[in-house]
Amino acid sequence: MDVFEAIKNRRSVRKYKPESVQEGLVKKILEAAVWAPSGSNIQPWNFIVIKDRKVLNMVRKISPGYFGDAPLAILVCSDKKRAYNLGGELGRDYLSVADCALAVQNMLLAAYASGLGTCIVKSFSSTAIKHILEIPDGIEPELLVIVGYPDQSPKPPSRRPLEEITCLNKYGKKYFKK
Amino acid sequence: MGKEKNNGNKYLFDLAIFLATSARGCVEEPHLYGPFRLIDALSRLTELPKYATCIKEDPFLAKMKRVIDEKKFLVVSDTEAFKAFLENLVREFAKELKRRSLERRKFTSN
Repeated sequence: MDVFEAIKNRRSVRKYKPESVQEGLVKKILEAAVWAPSGSNIQPWNFIVIKDRKVLNMVRKISPGYFGDAPLAILVCSDKKRAYNLGGELGRDYLSVADCALAVQNMLLAAYASGLGTCIVKSFSSTAIKHILEIPDGIEPELLVIVGYPDQSPKPPSRRPLEEITCLNKYGKKYFKK
Repeated sequence: MGKEKNNGNKYLFDLAIFLATSARGCVEEPHLYGPFRLIDALSRLTELPKYATCIKEDPFLAKMKRVIDEKKFLVVSDTEAFKAFLENLVREFAKELKRRSLERRKFTSN
């Protein structure tokens, strides 16, 4: 699949079929994640693959932004100690979050290209998810990626026009002419 | 009966943990997520008659649940449409309140 096609057609899916996701696809998604760019090559990410129904249900219950009954979720965490050791305060406070977001975008595109639907969830209780998944101090849950076969085709939401948000050489000088 | 009661307890706990985690999330989340969580909770609350046998199914609330579940995600795609949906929802509730109130008055005056 053409990468631009994946970028433009991927949607946040909130309704899934019950079919489970093959192990090979899970690995492909994770590999896509770790090939994301990383500031200072810190690679602060850690992944928790959640497939156990009971654990998934617990995670769903403490995540008000989690919709649908997908058979798989991957929690992307940042290792704050590693990020600080390798990247100082910038690494810990900014790069670790940005890198996880970049990894997540790769995951979404790889999943989409494999026929899977995804949805990023940030609306979960960090305290509760750390307790449920036994996440130690220094490891911070950043984003939860819900994965499964889509049972809906959401319409694309609007995007701000390039003419409105792009400048040439200095702020305020329009790059695109209407 | 025992099984229903257990389901009812599960339903109540799930709703409670949804409200608790939503409340915590609303401290930092976008302000429109507050209304979003509230109507999502309303949608979940309309399932109460399934578990509490002393409460009858309410066709109006069942209809509102369908409307809410269809429209609630406007919060992430079209905030103006989301606000208009909330406005319409309240209008529907007001109409229903008036209808029920008049019905009750008619009944008591007979």
